Amino acid sequence: MKRILAIFLFVTSASFTVNSAELKFICYQDINECDTIADMAKSWEASTGHTLNIETVGYEVIREQLENQLESGAAPDLARVTNLGGLNKFYLDLKPYVDSSYWEANYGATLPWYRKPSGDDGIYGWQTQLTVTGPYVNVTMFEDAGVDMPEEGATWDDWAEALRQVKSELGLTAGLALDRTAHRWAGPAFSYGAKFHENGTPILVDEGFRKFSEVFVGWHEEGLMPAEGWPAGAGTSYRNAAPLFLDGTVAMHMSGSWMLGNYDTNITDFEWKVVPIPCGPGGCGAMPGGSGIVAFKSTQHPEAAASFIDFMSQTENAEKFAASTSNITAHQGLQKSGIDYTGVSPNVAEGLAIFAANAGKAADTTPQAYWFQGYNKNFAIYGIVPDYITKAITGEMTLDEALAAIDADVAAKIAE
Amino acid sequence: MSENILNFNYWYFVIFIYLFIGFLLSKGVIGNISRLMSVIGWPIELAQRLSGTKSLPYLFLFPNILIFGLFTFLPLFMNFGFSVTDGESINFSSRDYSGSDNLSRIILETQIDTGIENMEDDKFKASIADTFIFVLFQVPIMIVVALITAVVLNREIVGRAFWRAVYFYPVMLSPVVVAFLWTLILKRQGLLSQTLMEWNWIDQPIQWLTDPSWTMFWSVFIYTWAHLGFYMLILLAGLQSIPKDLYEAAEMDGTSDQRAFWRITLPLLMPILLVVTVLSLIKAFQAFEELFALQVGWISLVSYIFETAGLRGQKTTFGLGIAAMASLLVALLLILLSLLQFYLTRRQVKL
Repeated sequence: MKRILAIFLFVTSASFTVNSAELKFICYQDINECDTIADMAKSWEASTGHTLNIETVGYEVIREQLENQLESGAAPDLARVTNLGGLNKFYLDLKPYVDSSYWEANYGATLPWYRKPSGDDGIYGWQTQLTVTGPYVNVTMFEDAGVDMPEEGATWDDWAEALRQVKSELGLTAGLALDRTAHRWAGPAFSYGAKFHENGTPILVDEGFRKFSEVFVGWHEEGLMPAEGWPAGAGTSYRNAAPLFLDGTVAMHMSGSWMLGNYDTNITDFEWKVVPIPCGPGGCGAMPGGSGIVAFKSTQHPEAAASFIDFMSQTENAEKFAASTSNITAHQGLQKSGIDYTGVSPNVAEGLAIFAANAGKAADTTPQAYWFQGYNKNFAIYGIVPDYITKAITGEMTLDEALAAIDADVAAKIAE
Repeated sequence: MSENILNFNYWYFVIFIYLFIGFLLSKGVIGNISRLMSVIGWPIELAQRLSGTKSLPYLFLFPNILIFGLFTFLPLFMNFGFSVTDGESINFSSRDYSGSDNLSRIILETQIDTGIENMEDDKFKASIADTFIFVLFQVPIMIVVALITAVVLNREIVGRAFWRAVYFYPVMLSPVVVAFLWTLILKRQGLLSQTLMEWNWIDQPIQWLTDPSWTMFWSVFIYTWAHLGFYMLILLAGLQSIPKDLYEAAEMDGTSDQRAFWRITLPLLMPILLVVTVLSLIKAFQAFEELFALQVGWISLVSYIFETAGLRGQKTTFGLGIAAMASLLVALLLILLSLLQFYLTRRQVKL
């Protein structure tokens, strides 16, 4: 009798381990995204019997180490990534496990960002949030200088003029700062008419690109943009311009929606707000982007991994996630119905609305923004543009040489 | 139930068995202390008995050789592999053999994949040129200053220990802390610009670390400041190993201090100076941490390789191969330099 009982116990426990999976999820957070996911995962764990082990890491780990881990076979089951298209070859296609009509209807705009450049209709990841680039302004500075802020629909030239006035009235060292990456640079460049691609092949330097490059170098020469920004970086390195906005060096920071939480917490000694993305002859360009949760092919538990991603993508969960992390949702149904951001500060709520509107304007007037975001080698271009434009600013190269170099270097970096 | 036993008493059990075996093996040992040592250290005594004294050193070296091989030699060979293959992956199974393509990509004027101007060769040459300028100034300046400091601090001056500590202190700081401190001084709104403006020496604040005409000066200055103490300490030890009676004899002969320095101190310090030169030369070529954290306006060889390999930002199809090839070229250059160093050292000894 004892023996039979033991066998019975063994069999049941063995079948139990087959059914319940333990998933490893590598996550990074800007504010509280991973904590929120961990919190929400509890009900999924309870209903499925699976376990989700969330390992919260710094963004650098995702950006610099994850790909090597994937190649060396030490991959987690799930991860929250930002290089959406670049890691495609490692993704698990969720299509067999999820309701694709629901996904296409609600995430149709962001699904292509995860896909191969052509002929791919797989479903690879849940866009946790949309991020959109756009400017923050120091309201106190504008008030102190007695300068009126340009209205919605104003151009970059209008804003440059207004910032020039603020700068001279208050004796600032600079007026406008922009993070050192082509991701932030692209929005204004679209506004000046840069197309960035022709039928899916990057053609960076066209007339619009050249026009904005001239303007941008000019802004540095006249001192509207600070020496601590782009000129202070070497090579393809990224530089965050937020410290220049926080310490009052500049009156405007061209950044993105991910900074809302940071500024809301850290800015205490002046008034700030998000303003609509400035426009230009080419439209009102802003870069969309964001991060998503993906599962990897190498996982032992594809069904469980897909089930968790599907769980998070459901309307009520997507809404809960967006509301608790103060993010713009990628869920198209929720975008229409709106999300209740009660509990966030008025500045953040207003900022979220403006950023969401920026994304809409960019979709209407500068569709190349969505192409560039989805282009699987965009990360290489993000670094190459600052590398040579900086040389044009510091005078190491003429602008013509720099633009020719951008074309040549991008061609070499995207060659297969 | 059986799991419980394992979990609870496992380690006690193992230790008991270990000591028991030791107890059995050490039966013939005389004396309590020796017996105790044998009980504890029986595996080594057993190894010695089994292998004999001749091969025992290799047994001890084995773990270290294993680690050394795994983390030094294996990457070295992998680097060779990367330099002659293409692909984003670090897995050799998904990298294609490409022969000397990466060499072409790094030295030719025309890019072989696109057929238009190559940008990589300019970047590589610029990083070599800049690194050589850095080494050319940094090494001699540091050795001369370290030597002067060591000679001064070897004399009977007031507060000698204090001054030695002052010069050695930066060595103990982390490179990132060094960079942070100097950034506070050298940024545009930093201490230096502010002070110079107050004295009316300059009209406009200067971004010392990135201004093309200043970035190299401050790179050399800060790097020397941070590493001076280490070389000073070695030279100080060298100075103290020179026998005092030589100086006494020279003094009795009426030799001037200057002559004593050139004829006694310097020749006897020469072997130490050579060590210091070789060490600082190698260190200067490898300079990275401080320069990276300072975000200086030039790209050193190490950061060129680091960046091209795609270790920051996105990988490119050829990046890893190009970086591996670049590192091999640099290695070749350093080997040649080391050989020159050997040759010069030998000549010194013959003299």
